[in-house]
Amino acid sequence: MTIIQIILTIGVALIAIYMYLRLRSSFFDVILIVLFFALGIFFVFFPESTTDIAHWVGVSRGADLLSYSGIMFLFFLILKLYSRLRRVEQKFTELVRNKSIEEAEELKKEN
Amino acid sequence: MIRKTVTEVLEKGYSVVVVDDCSKDGSKKQLKGLPVYYLRHRINMGQGAALQTGIDFAKRKRAEYFVTFDADGQHDQNDIAGMVDLIQKEKSDIVFGSRFLPGSKTNVSGSRTFVLNVARYVNYLVSGILLSDAYNGLRLFDRKAAESIKLTENKMAHATQIQVLAAKHKLHYSEYANSIHYNEYTTGKGLRNWDGIKIFFEILLYKIFQ
Repeated sequence: MTIIQIILTIGVALIAIYMYLRLRSSFFDVILIVLFFALGIFFVFFPESTTDIAHWVGVSRGADLLSYSGIMFLFFLILKLYSRLRRVEQKFTELVRNKSIEEAEELKKEN
Repeated sequence: MIRKTVTEVLEKGYSVVVVDDCSKDGSKKQLKGLPVYYLRHRINMGQGAALQTGIDFAKRKRAEYFVTFDADGQHDQNDIAGMVDLIQKEKSDIVFGSRFLPGSKTNVSGSRTFVLNVARYVNYLVSGILLSDAYNGLRLFDRKAAESIKLTENKMAHATQIQVLAAKHKLHYSEYANSIHYNEYTTGKGLRNWDGIKIFFEILLYKIFQ
């Protein structure tokens, strides 16, 4: 076992535990977490197998396939996050606006 | 500056709603003794958000016409009456101020004219409405327009969004040659030409996520 395999195994395990603690709710979630955990560990110990998958979809190296799909996934995530951010900002604006309307002051004329 | 602007509008007999977007220059103190409605955002939200707050408030006060008027002294209070005449004559729902129509008095710079020209075509591509001016802060809404326009673009893209919503709700619009006077205060506080790039990206994001 190389050092990187140890590091990655610990990393995957920590993420799996964290996900379990956060979601824990349904049986389906647990199955999903275990599945991803197993898949992650599998690739850590048999990295060559990613190359087979890469070849199958027409990419020469497993690492390349990973970076392509990784970039796509990250981009998708950014879009999702940004649209959520916009929704949050909209609600937040509503709050600030309603507060300012509630607290509107009618200034009095003075000479 | 705000006191001078507000005083001039008040002298014309209009009701004034001031939206203070969390400014730090003590706007409320400057307005002391002037009969205006004063609203303050607890947090700085942007010009678009402030306009919407003012419109929402004026709707509650059962206003008939709604004028958006910049507080930095670049607009001329005498234009309001002309715009009201125009909206009644042309039976439109919304009047856009324009500094590029004949009759408009303005000291807009050449470079700004160029940027605004690009901007009005960007707005045309996005909204389908081609105005002679873009990003002119002086506008007049009637009740129908005020009901239809709900700005969600808190920052500068709101000017584009107004055009988009006007097209969407099939509002009749007119343009009015208004005067814009840039003074030292305005150019210090207002947008720089480079902000155009920033606004362009705001519009792009608005278009993608609307």
